[in-house]
Amino acid sequence: MQETSTFAGVQLNSILERMAVLAAEQAAHGLSTMLGRPIRLTVPRLSLVPLCEVPYRVGGPETEAVGIYLQVQGDLPGHVMLILPYQDAFRLVDLLFEAQEGATMQLGPLERSALGEVGNVTASLFLNAIADATGLSLRPSPPAVVMDMVGAIIDIIVIASGAVADEILLLEVEFHGPDRTLEIYFWMVPAQSIADADIH
Amino acid sequence: MAPNQKEALGQPAALEANVKSAGLGQLVVSNDPAETLIAYGLGSCVGVIAYDPTAKVGGLLHAVLPQHRNGDPNLAKYIDTGIPLLLKEMAKLGARKANCLLYVVGGAEMLQVAGLANGFNIGSKNVQMARAVAEREGLRLKEVDVGGNSGRTVKLEMQTGRVTVRTLGRGERTL
Repeated sequence: MQETSTFAGVQLNSILERMAVLAAEQAAHGLSTMLGRPIRLTVPRLSLVPLCEVPYRVGGPETEAVGIYLQVQGDLPGHVMLILPYQDAFRLVDLLFEAQEGATMQLGPLERSALGEVGNVTASLFLNAIADATGLSLRPSPPAVVMDMVGAIIDIIVIASGAVADEILLLEVEFHGPDRTLEIYFWMVPAQSIADADIH
Repeated sequence: MAPNQKEALGQPAALEANVKSAGLGQLVVSNDPAETLIAYGLGSCVGVIAYDPTAKVGGLLHAVLPQHRNGDPNLAKYIDTGIPLLLKEMAKLGARKANCLLYVVGGAEMLQVAGLANGFNIGSKNVQMARAVAEREGLRLKEVDVGGNSGRTVKLEMQTGRVTVRTLGRGERTL
């Protein structure tokens, strides 16, 4: 990460990183409660990625993937998107269901619902942490789960950002289970400048 | 996913020989019969293909929004400014507007959750605008494959002018 990077007017290396640590703790706690066993989350990296590069971070625009999308309303409206190429989605389901790695080979209604819930819990708790740290009110919508080509899924956030954001914030989130670690990418797109929202 | 796997998966098509791909808000043109023009994973975006079978010149626009916003230098991001730009770039390679066949692909609604779709419907607005611009420019609209809720990959083979559309789960078909 570049020292000078800013996201919506905020220095990435200050407020957002502190928030990410808090958020990961909350999300891990929430997920562990939901699953009844410890899952740890870390956010090793925050970075700004040009929108046009996003598809290539998740396997290319034609890769089949699962997208979990939440709209954020309140003081800081915006969008959160989690994109998992199928292979990663299978691994995450294995991790959630305590199945052997490689056990999940397709995504039925149960698997989709589990993925939607993980996206929901993780993103919501993430937003809670930001809300706690800033005093802002952030209300996420229920998650929408979309299975399609990466390019088509990304159109959702491109449009949601008004196609004006040239860069979006990428959070690399690691899910640590008892015996394995999975790296998942979250994308955040603000509908307005975070700087305008008066964060202290 | 391990970093090496990511690299192996990333950008396969751009590395293929003779493929020119149009990313978000980009357009590509060609007069090389060996080339294929592609737009991958169109969701609510619209791919506009124009092909002059006489000159064997083709072009593909991957537009994001219907209407140009003041001050944006990227005309290819918008349908109303992108289609004229596409025709202009093709004319430089010898295409004539009167000969051009037009294909419009994409414009799906990717989100179907009640309460989330507010302010979207961009897919159908994109398609409407593409039809309107085609009419304004006096272009022959050969075929459309639009709407629905699935992403599409569209290809133009320069040699034959054949246009194919691929959708997940439904395979590839020729327009």
